[in-house]
Amino acid sequence: MNSPRAPRAPLAGVRIADFTIHAAGPFCTHLLSQLGAECIKIESRTRPDAFRKPHAVYGRMSAATFDQVSANKLSVRLNLKQPEAIVLAKRIVSASDIAAESFRPGVMKRLGLGFEDLKQVKDDLVFLSLSSCGQTGPDSHFAGYAPLFGAWGGLGWMSGYNDGPPVEMRHVMDHSAGIHAALATMAALHQRQRTGSAQHVDLAAREVASAMIGDALVLASLGLTPERPGNADLGMAPHGVYATAHEDRWLTLAVRSDAEWRRLAQVLGLNADDMRFASTAGRLRHREALDALLITCFADCNADEMAATLQQVGVCAHVSWNMEDIAADPHLRARGAVTQVSAPDIPERLAVGAPARFSRTGDVGIRRLTPTLGQDEEYVFGELLGLNAEQRADLEAREVIL
Amino acid sequence: MPFNDSPPSSALPLSGCRVLERSSTVAAAYAGRLLATLGAQVVMLEPPGGSPLRRAAPLLDEGGESALFAYLAVGKRSMVCDLADAEGRALLDQELEHADILIDDTPVGARDALGLAPDRLSMRFPHLVHVSVLPFGASGPKADWDAAELNLIHAGGEGYLLPNGLSNELFPDRPPLKIYGHFSGYQGGAMAVLCALSAWWAVPQCGGQYVDVSVQDAVLSVGAFALQRLGDGSLEHRATRRFRYGGVFEAQDGFIELLTLEDRQWSSLVALLGSPDWARDAGLLDPLERSRRGSEINEHIRAWMAAHTVEDIVRWAQELGVPAGKYRTPAEVVHGEQERARGLFASASLQNGQQTEMLVAPFQFRCTPLAGGGCVPALGEMTQEVSV
Repeated sequence: MNSPRAPRAPLAGVRIADFTIHAAGPFCTHLLSQLGAECIKIESRTRPDAFRKPHAVYGRMSAATFDQVSANKLSVRLNLKQPEAIVLAKRIVSASDIAAESFRPGVMKRLGLGFEDLKQVKDDLVFLSLSSCGQTGPDSHFAGYAPLFGAWGGLGWMSGYNDGPPVEMRHVMDHSAGIHAALATMAALHQRQRTGSAQHVDLAAREVASAMIGDALVLASLGLTPERPGNADLGMAPHGVYATAHEDRWLTLAVRSDAEWRRLAQVLGLNADDMRFASTAGRLRHREALDALLITCFADCNADEMAATLQQVGVCAHVSWNMEDIAADPHLRARGAVTQVSAPDIPERLAVGAPARFSRTGDVGIRRLTPTLGQDEEYVFGELLGLNAEQRADLEAREVIL
Repeated sequence: MPFNDSPPSSALPLSGCRVLERSSTVAAAYAGRLLATLGAQVVMLEPPGGSPLRRAAPLLDEGGESALFAYLAVGKRSMVCDLADAEGRALLDQELEHADILIDDTPVGARDALGLAPDRLSMRFPHLVHVSVLPFGASGPKADWDAAELNLIHAGGEGYLLPNGLSNELFPDRPPLKIYGHFSGYQGGAMAVLCALSAWWAVPQCGGQYVDVSVQDAVLSVGAFALQRLGDGSLEHRATRRFRYGGVFEAQDGFIELLTLEDRQWSSLVALLGSPDWARDAGLLDPLERSRRGSEINEHIRAWMAAHTVEDIVRWAQELGVPAGKYRTPAEVVHGEQERARGLFASASLQNGQQTEMLVAPFQFRCTPLAGGGCVPALGEMTQEVSV
């Protein structure tokens, strides 16, 4: 696990100039790099990536040794405050297929690295801008974090207990924006292949939050008021999260049909002929009575055994898993979704691996861990840009490479 | 009856890409929806009774059309294809001759009989990108487990961590709470598109292939930082996974999210609150001290928020550079100025003929804008068109 190269991966030969910061942008390029793209991360000693610094708000008091979304990436230093560094950044872009950034709208342009600037050096560039609110519109200058994307986009409002406040979205919101950005970037790459033209992909993280409530937005657009269902489902009962014999060991259950209900009733020894519960409409109408019954049924059960038993009869059940459960799961290991990683200065640990399994192309997943700052300059500045050792030493002395 | 049959504009990112979709889950249907919006021609192969998603909540009215299906199916075509009989399986093969990508969520055990086995398809259609999208994937010891959205958000680790912040403080004894709708399914669908387009990219080099996507994997993937934390020695829990201060606040007339992650934002927050005496405590200049006294700080912010309107708070916060935003309702999103300015919605016709606004896509292509909208296809409209 030490080569950043992935000659057999689906995106072998695709190169990304990666200017992204924070969580969503780096996760996007992380996914593409896991799929085989060569991703050149551009940072500097004065503006290093967040994981290289302490982060008190999250309770991390020193730099991280391992960062999930930096794996596979190549690292070079460029001090983008220097005009010469901008020239070098442009040369990296011109040697790449994709340039990705996640600054506030306008920052890349001010640096001289906007889409129009970069198109001059690479006329078929795929340029990804990922931001809170998008590159246009009255709110485009708003900065934000995952909880704000959820709030603006409506997902926070729609999530929550029916009688409670809205719910704060966390990293999954950033990373969902990252997946959407990655797939849109791939679509643009296909378009370039077909047309030979450049493209500017503009992803707004708050619009990803809105896309997650697309059904509720259809209702709202027709003047209806979508309901916040909490853990309930408007078309399924029973449907919920139930306490079991062990504290904080919850069983999740979703019954989609009458046949599934009858099988559940049989496992639990309930009267399957209770007419109140015979049909979906009946179960929805008598949801509270049904829930009270199930709360009693599950209160003393072993959640893990119950989930397995219900799965055997074709009822959708699963324990509410914490990260220890996930770390210990043979299924996720077998799929490579959870994988063991290590490096000379990083003891063995678990990481989230390949996004999917591919039958023909190999090398998908984590191939090398967090790069040290500037560790790939020999390759990028030397081999790709053709700068010799002397030229690089000079650029370093003048703090262009910093 | 209108169809989504106008020749797709060659200017769209995936113009010319032909996709077949067999979907009974949100993950597979969302994958097809994204591909359709990107310009691919997406044909749903539906069983004679139609996809179960046609009846999935929320509905427009009792017994009426599904808003969820409308959102997921707009812009696609529909063809009835009964794989239980030989004629249907012949139709599948005929359609696959011209397809670039097949998205399928048929359970593993049912595939052979329906002509959907990966080995058969890869022999017969060597250039096809065959994407399997299942709750737990198509391989591994739990490949035959089934799950709905509620199960998957918990199988992927995020469900256990929700709700955090104010909801958890108010209702500490309640069960964990899912994210609205089909968050897990959407992650699985988006991941399926990313992997489908990556495999399609590699077709000239290595031909088509079989791609095995799991919704559980996708949920874990977006929640990866929690596994990273476990590696650092801390097991996250919804009761403790909260920002030390900031979060959800109730103002006079609605809810606000306020979050300051960077040190320099503290002084702006103090200014926003009107520089009260408690906030001028020199000890609070230290970020660590603020973390320790987070609950106390939040009590002060709560009292202040309760005395002001959302509009005022958000305006002042923007002026001072404090990240804050309103928890907007779906109606506010649909009518939002930002959304209007960006053309986030396009007009679409429902099966009942009603016009509605439909979210186009959560990304824009600035050089060749996506059109979005279109019709929600009636069951088998393509078959009908052929027979007319």
